[in-house]
Amino acid sequence: MFLQTQGITKEFGKLRAVNNVTLEIKKGDIHAIIGPNGAGKSTYFNLVTGYHRATSGKVLFRDKEITNLPAYSRCNLGITRSFQITSIYPKLTVYESVLMGLLSHRKVTLNFFSSAKKYFREEVWRILKDVGLTDQANTLGDSISHGDKKRLELAITLGTEPELLCLDEPTCGMSPEETDVAMSLIKKFSEERGLTILFTEHDMSVVFGIAKRISVLHQGTLIADGTPQEVRASEEVQKVYLGGTA
Amino acid sequence: MVINQTEQKESMVKKGWWLILLIIIFIFAPAFLSEFYLTVLCEALVMSLFALSFNLLFGYMGQLSFGQAAFYGLGGYTVAMLIMKAHFNFWLSIIAGVLVAGIIGLIVGFFCVRLRGIYFAVLTLAFGQLIFSVVFKWHNFTGGDDGIQGVFPPEFLKSPIAYYYFILIVFLLSAFVLWKIIHSPFGQTIISMRENSERTEFLGINIAKYQLITFVIAAAFAGLAGAIWVPFYRSVAPSYLTWIKSGEPVMAAILGGPSLFYGPVLGMFIMTFFHSWVLGFTIYWPVVMGALILVVIFFLPGGILGFIQEKVNQRRERLNQLVEK
Repeated sequence: MFLQTQGITKEFGKLRAVNNVTLEIKKGDIHAIIGPNGAGKSTYFNLVTGYHRATSGKVLFRDKEITNLPAYSRCNLGITRSFQITSIYPKLTVYESVLMGLLSHRKVTLNFFSSAKKYFREEVWRILKDVGLTDQANTLGDSISHGDKKRLELAITLGTEPELLCLDEPTCGMSPEETDVAMSLIKKFSEERGLTILFTEHDMSVVFGIAKRISVLHQGTLIADGTPQEVRASEEVQKVYLGGTA
Repeated sequence: MVINQTEQKESMVKKGWWLILLIIIFIFAPAFLSEFYLTVLCEALVMSLFALSFNLLFGYMGQLSFGQAAFYGLGGYTVAMLIMKAHFNFWLSIIAGVLVAGIIGLIVGFFCVRLRGIYFAVLTLAFGQLIFSVVFKWHNFTGGDDGIQGVFPPEFLKSPIAYYYFILIVFLLSAFVLWKIIHSPFGQTIISMRENSERTEFLGINIAKYQLITFVIAAAFAGLAGAIWVPFYRSVAPSYLTWIKSGEPVMAAILGGPSLFYGPVLGMFIMTFFHSWVLGFTIYWPVVMGALILVVIFFLPGGILGFIQEKVNQRRERLNQLVEK
């Protein structure tokens, strides 16, 4: 068992944002969580990555319960995430930003007297090359384009050498061309590094183009889970997406 | 590769020439400074070390501590009390001063590092004032508002020049250690926390733990500054721990530029020398200092050193463009 949520629920006051979701994510899959606005996708994501604590239910990663672990511990176990609103280091260079992920993952951050720049040069350059940011290595995070910032965030997360990479709306705000590039990158990483990818997305063409498995949330409840074909054929999903809920 | 390394070393020498020049000037300073200004220079160095310790929290970790003077004062009081009451060895007293400041820093930090921003600042201020109150009120133990007088260094450090060299060595070594820390993976981590603590936490960093370690390091160096100052000044007073004293490194960092390592040092030098000069003709020093801070905040938002750095970079870019043409 790679990642599993068992009857996980999150309440904000009277609002039940995620309602009793039991779901398994298999190793090596590209797994999409979709649903209309307010379906609870981001909240579900936050429960998996440790941004929120579940009101009830369990999160298991490699058969170990992580329901109440803080975010940094989950990251150290191999779960890394990106954010819907791109979260990078505005005043660090692209190179330094990627280096930070590696310093943390390889547990050298309690080294006080050696120069940080001497660490993991090859690895940083390889990641920068993989995501296509080599030319911007010495540029500050806030002076690159929006699409590049999204790529930078991906590069930073790759630095932690994750097993499960959670991407919250990875193509949000990207042009169609940028979206294509980003998606093919994600696919490449999944194939080459054996990364398991869990992502939310509102663009259906992206989802059906890349996901091996899709779960549909509606008003916090899981209404469908299966291959793209199965999900496409589901009546309930069609009802939700074609406005049948009104 | 070998050529590359030599090139790197050469460029380091080129970049660091001003530092080497400064150190040479410091070494020969007693030859051309009057005793009065040598004393001022000693104070500037000690206060610069204090400011560097503060800036580890403020400039690098991005949290404003408004109680840093408590650790400076604790370092000073530990030395004074050990030498005067327990007749402790001078060197052991200094080490004890650092340790006491570090341990109290660990206790205070334990509570403060859970908070960020204004809450962190206010809680450090509260703890600072609390420690001050204890020292101020506990007359039997600390001497209360009288402080402790007659704290002497060992015989060979009694002359101002000898003690000046002692302060200079401690300052240079401490600055070097702090510089190394800032450029280490640990330093990179606290800078990342300043830039985006959420992103850093989601890279696997326990923010509170790193804040606590930084807090303890900063407290220990502030303690060291206090510990070496008291035997030079021959006395210690509760005013060393007040929030007014805590405000000095804040102003020095803003004046010189908190984003540059030597910014707070420059700020402290300007403040200390300006202070002793202005006092010659007016007692309204805070008014002068206030005006100076206003000018810097409005016209040089990156501090004086930040402004200089910006101009140097611009000039370098223009030169590069000319060369390319």
